[in-house]
Amino acid sequence: METSFALTGKGYVIIAADTTAARSIVKMKVDADKIKVLSPHLLMSYSGEPGDTIQFAEYVERNIRLYQIRNLYALTPSAAASWIRRSLAESLRSRNPYAVNLLVGGYDTTSHQPHLYWIDYLGTMTEIPFGAHGYGSYFALSLLDRYHDPEASLEEGLSTLKRCINEVAKRLVVSPDRYTVKVVDKDGVREVEL
Amino acid sequence: MARRYDSRTTIFSPEGRLYQIEYAMEAISHAGTVIGILASDGVVLVAEKRVTGKLLDLSGAKEGGYGGSGEKIFLLNSNVIGGVAGLTADANSLVNYSRTAAQRHLLLYNQDIPVELLAQRLCDLKQGYTQFGGLRPFGVSLLYAGYDPHYRFQLYHSDPSGNYSGWKATCIGANSGTAQSLLKQEYKDDMKVKDAISLVLKTMSKTMDSTSLGSEKLEFATLMLDPKTNQPKARIYKPAEIDALLVAEGLVKKDEDTEMKAA
Amino acid sequence: MNSLAEKYSTTSPLSKLRKAQQLAEDEELSDAMWGSSAGFGSLAKGIPSFTVAPVPDPAAFLRLHTDDHADPNCRIKIQHGTTTLAFRYKGGVIVAVDSRATAGSYVASGTVKKVIEINPYLLGTMAGGAADCQYWETYLGMHCRLHELRNRERISVSAASKYLSNLVYSYKGMGLSMGTMICGWDKTGPCIFYVDSDGTRLKGDLFSVGSGSTFAYGVLDQGYHWDLTDEEAQELGRRSIYAAGHRDAFSGNTCNLYHVKQDGWHFIGNYDLSKLHYEGPNNVAGQGYGYDVRTEGRTSANPPPAATATA
Repeated sequence: METSFALTGKGYVIIAADTTAARSIVKMKVDADKIKVLSPHLLMSYSGEPGDTIQFAEYVERNIRLYQIRNLYALTPSAAASWIRRSLAESLRSRNPYAVNLLVGGYDTTSHQPHLYWIDYLGTMTEIPFGAHGYGSYFALSLLDRYHDPEASLEEGLSTLKRCINEVAKRLVVSPDRYTVKVVDKDGVREVEL
Repeated sequence: MARRYDSRTTIFSPEGRLYQIEYAMEAISHAGTVIGILASDGVVLVAEKRVTGKLLDLSGAKEGGYGGSGEKIFLLNSNVIGGVAGLTADANSLVNYSRTAAQRHLLLYNQDIPVELLAQRLCDLKQGYTQFGGLRPFGVSLLYAGYDPHYRFQLYHSDPSGNYSGWKATCIGANSGTAQSLLKQEYKDDMKVKDAISLVLKTMSKTMDSTSLGSEKLEFATLMLDPKTNQPKARIYKPAEIDALLVAEGLVKKDEDTEMKAA
Repeated sequence: MNSLAEKYSTTSPLSKLRKAQQLAEDEELSDAMWGSSAGFGSLAKGIPSFTVAPVPDPAAFLRLHTDDHADPNCRIKIQHGTTTLAFRYKGGVIVAVDSRATAGSYVASGTVKKVIEINPYLLGTMAGGAADCQYWETYLGMHCRLHELRNRERISVSAASKYLSNLVYSYKGMGLSMGTMICGWDKTGPCIFYVDSDGTRLKGDLFSVGSGSTFAYGVLDQGYHWDLTDEEAQELGRRSIYAAGHRDAFSGNTCNLYHVKQDGWHFIGNYDLSKLHYEGPNNVAGQGYGYDVRTEGRTSANPPPAATATA
């Protein structure tokens, strides 16, 4: 089942998303990357209705790039997340709404703070220190309530993420076996191996 | 000859000029002066009011929310103040447009509109009126004094053609050439708002044709960071505050009218 | 009578409208578009739009008249049972499909062509609605040709599949049913994209689609590796379709096998699955794929040696 996690730490945000693309009971792809790099300091994981996910993610990606080309600087994470939320909320009232759940994480280079936003397909948005989407969230949220530390170093943050992944692997009936993990901090975006 | 190309803004003259735009700029060069100076910790705007007189009722303006008489200096958004020179009616329309644009940005991005983007929004509108069907360009130049987290304090100027540019210190309206050269001589890169206020008032007093200098002729505003919230805060001075400022700077000039009143 | 007169009149408002429409259509192929930025000249006419059936709710109409999900008694049956597969290896792409068309529990045809030859370098497979796949993949072929004419080079598999994916996505929720693999060879080498009517588009080495896909995967995944020889690869494709045809009631009859190489696709052959069961691809009795045939004479009985001695 589709699962994604994200958490903040001292000066960074980590986002992890499983790598499977499934259709009914079949895994069609086992190395899908479901985390888009929207700008030098912005990441977005997406899950939900097949088709909608990619179409919406690419729409967001292109629009945020366009803003950057027009204004020579990127949107701040909060501005980008607000724009994404509004796009989703407007689509919700259209003939064909996008059913997509998102985690938007970024590093604000103007205020030197990491930000993480949880957005669902209804257009709900909230800023959070950590969050998750999918069945994995039922296990990970309590775990993160217990173990998350806003001042954790990157190593500590990644080990907390591993706790989440291991817990989901242990308890969820059909759990993903691989994840893409990306980090964003003052130096920008990079993928990490667990 | 030129007359053949005057009536339509959208038609070039054989020399490649758009006369209507040049005339619009001419209209501005007769309007009340507006001077802006960018300092390291804020921006300062001063404007010369043309509509004055003893019978003008300014009682509303005196107590009005942000001060000013609403003729020359406006709050466009919580982080931008604008000074206008030109046709006041056109200016009102543009001020309204820019306030709407700023709010639309707030709605979409949940952040104050970046200053340059606001200038761009207005310039897109102004440019449209230099190109499309038989319309008259806006007879307005604006100074935008603003703050955003990307480039901090900024000062922009836009003209009726839709051009805009960023400045350390600039001037629009009557005698803008004189003021501009004064500013060029006196401006220093490490100016603070305090120094900018002195310079801007001194320049204005030298630029104005009028024999008197007082709150009835001036509008004045600053934009700085609120030390408590670290957010931009505009201050549009009330008439009494302007007079106090002029006294402090030793720039009060009086003509017979005011002297008679005092006596 | 009045309406008839109006229909053929050359001066009535209706005919003027017709003329205007014709003029607009002609403009679509105006000079400005010729070799222009990939035909984006047409954007001047507004965002491209598409047509749907002239009923108030096309999706509801389709649901009402087909066997989609709810009502199995409907007259129009959409073909669902299928096995198709494609995989990429060092020697190109192998595409293999079955040929059975079912309508409910009835085998409507055993000789369906489920590989759609889009052009000499591109193949599409057919699963889901036969008409949907046939129509849109032929339409895709048309646009691939236009791409060649405009850009003086062949369309990449990636671009072709994205064109199809965007197209079916614009009809999302209106009842299209397609699960297809767009296979070909372009500048990047052999290439496969899975595209379905949800709007999903995935790049990969190995895909199987249809009701028999799980059975095909079982054989395919185990036998697959990048360095297969051409013969091994073709055998793997055939054998996987056989496996699905044997286990899945909605797949069967024959297997069509294609091999895409650098110079385009080649049709390898059509194989009767029953024959494959007993005789294998070379028609030799006893060399069949069938379990009984393959394990003929082998037993799991494991009597103790003593028992054999006494017997």
